[in-house]
Amino acid sequence: MAFLTQGLATADWLVLAAYLVAIVAFGLWVGRGTRGIDDFFLAGREMRWWAAGLSVMATQISAITFVGTTGQAYTKGMSFVAFYFGLPFAMVVLSLTVVPFFYRARVFTAYEYLEQRFDARTRTLTSLLFLLSRGLAVGVTLYAPSLVLSVVLGWSEAATIALMGGTTILYVVYGGNRSVIWTDVVQMALIWFGIFVCVGVAIARLPAEVGLGDALALAQTASRLETVDLSLDLTKPYTLWSGLIGGMFLAMAYFGCDQSQVQRYLSGRSLTESRLSLLFNAFLKVPMQFLILLTGVLVFVFFHFHDTPLLWNRAELAQLETRAPVGELVRLRAEAEAAHRERRSAASAFAAARRAGLDPEPAREAYRASQQRLEASEAEVRRLAAGPGAAPVNDVNYIFPSYVVSQLRGGIAGLVIAVIFAAAMSTLAAELSSLATATVIDFYKRFVNTSGTGAHDLLVSRVFTAVWGIFAALVALQAGQLGSAIEVVNRFGSYFYGSILGVFGLAILTPRASARGAFYGLLAGMATVFLVSRLTSIAFLWYNVVGALTVFGVGLLITAASGPSGQSGTATTGLAASPAP
Amino acid sequence: MNPPRPPEASDDRVPFFGTWRAIYAAVAACALAVMALLALFSRWPF
Repeated sequence: MAFLTQGLATADWLVLAAYLVAIVAFGLWVGRGTRGIDDFFLAGREMRWWAAGLSVMATQISAITFVGTTGQAYTKGMSFVAFYFGLPFAMVVLSLTVVPFFYRARVFTAYEYLEQRFDARTRTLTSLLFLLSRGLAVGVTLYAPSLVLSVVLGWSEAATIALMGGTTILYVVYGGNRSVIWTDVVQMALIWFGIFVCVGVAIARLPAEVGLGDALALAQTASRLETVDLSLDLTKPYTLWSGLIGGMFLAMAYFGCDQSQVQRYLSGRSLTESRLSLLFNAFLKVPMQFLILLTGVLVFVFFHFHDTPLLWNRAELAQLETRAPVGELVRLRAEAEAAHRERRSAASAFAAARRAGLDPEPAREAYRASQQRLEASEAEVRRLAAGPGAAPVNDVNYIFPSYVVSQLRGGIAGLVIAVIFAAAMSTLAAELSSLATATVIDFYKRFVNTSGTGAHDLLVSRVFTAVWGIFAALVALQAGQLGSAIEVVNRFGSYFYGSILGVFGLAILTPRASARGAFYGLLAGMATVFLVSRLTSIAFLWYNVVGALTVFGVGLLITAASGPSGQSGTATTGLAASPAP
Repeated sequence: MNPPRPPEASDDRVPFFGTWRAIYAAVAACALAVMALLALFSRWPF
């Protein structure tokens, strides 16, 4: 397929280069004059709500989210949007609970509050869990988009990792969290602009005889527009209920207990600004995700009328062409091309019937049958590419970048690649900054050097930021050899996210909960989630509910059994101390 | 012994909708409206 061998045009390279130069220069400029760790880690606690809010949003949307969800919409439809249904409600709960407690405790990290409320070991364990999971995940944050872009653009993985990681490390080490937040603002504005460009271009590039209504009718017939699934099946990943309940617990854990997010809103200049930064996301996150998924759906319709490759991942395709028996490959290619031609004709006939005001149902049925035949043909190719006994090849992450590089012109491809870079760099920057903060505040200044000067602490903070950046790059460079370990890393966080949320629930909602109850409740929560993940097939969004409720229940039981002797800490406890909403 | 309370942070006036309660209600109403619109979008006879 010719389009996979095309690359970016000069205008695209210029746009991408201009973005990289501008964002590094801007990050260094806004980070000048950083003094002390309050400045370095919390941007002097002087951020307005919209800046911190855009930073919260930019931290959450990673490059792989951007290219992965468009690919998911292409292959499975828009049901993934349900993942975010609980997020607005989680933001309200967090604004009422953890945000005022963290803000008034004047902490640098979420885990610092747990020592004030419980004891040092609970703080140390939760912070260590954060460092372990986020420290490994930061390598995947860098590796995943680098892998996709290297295959699509034809670069080496090392070059992509060096470019993406090196530029980000530079401004985060120099300017700390102030650089992170202000570059996030610019990157998020670019991402929003890019999303609208992608939707607009995807609509504009539909064939003349296919209008937007026709495109949506085709997508609907192919089951790509399903967004709200009322099923009560706990094994289905994205239903209204898993999104509302499981998604809400996940969002509370991520935004309330993960330092990479907590650090964003602790930088607010007042409690009001911190709360508004979260609530701002409550309004915008679901519509944004809808637009990204809609882009994937429109790309799906676009490729009804343009050639598609046998596999989107060029490296996998090359392997398939080398490994597969020639006769088998020729047969599969012929079948796929015939199925594609048949679907194109059926889609055109369906659109023509709609335009002519004829009964579209026969044409709709013919189109649906052709789509099913094409999907069966594609599934056979994926099975052959994977080899006997292995799971079929999954190359959804390559669809959108392939579309961008092969179909967009006039600098737009460069803009969208810059958007993917921006999504990756904003997440990476926040992760590096939060890892350094937890390392310095929860370990270095807690156990190693408790009385360092401002200049010394700032130097140490910069060194740890650089160390985490280098660590991320090294993990990313080795990730190709890790194989299924990447999946382990990705799942690692889901085992204890809900449990950590349960600890914060005990800290804030229950005045009586003891340090012993919190610590052993946390261990019980993680063990329970591990067992549930091994012994049942419930969808992962429910793990957070299981973990949080187990910690809460076990924590209260141990508190009741051990009595008040297990209680410690000096922080404000219980909702009685919470400010009025 | 009662634990000492952290110093109060300065809190600005509520900038939108008058009260925090109204802001939270607006967030919830908006979220429900978006979900209803999504359901309508999925089932719309295009």
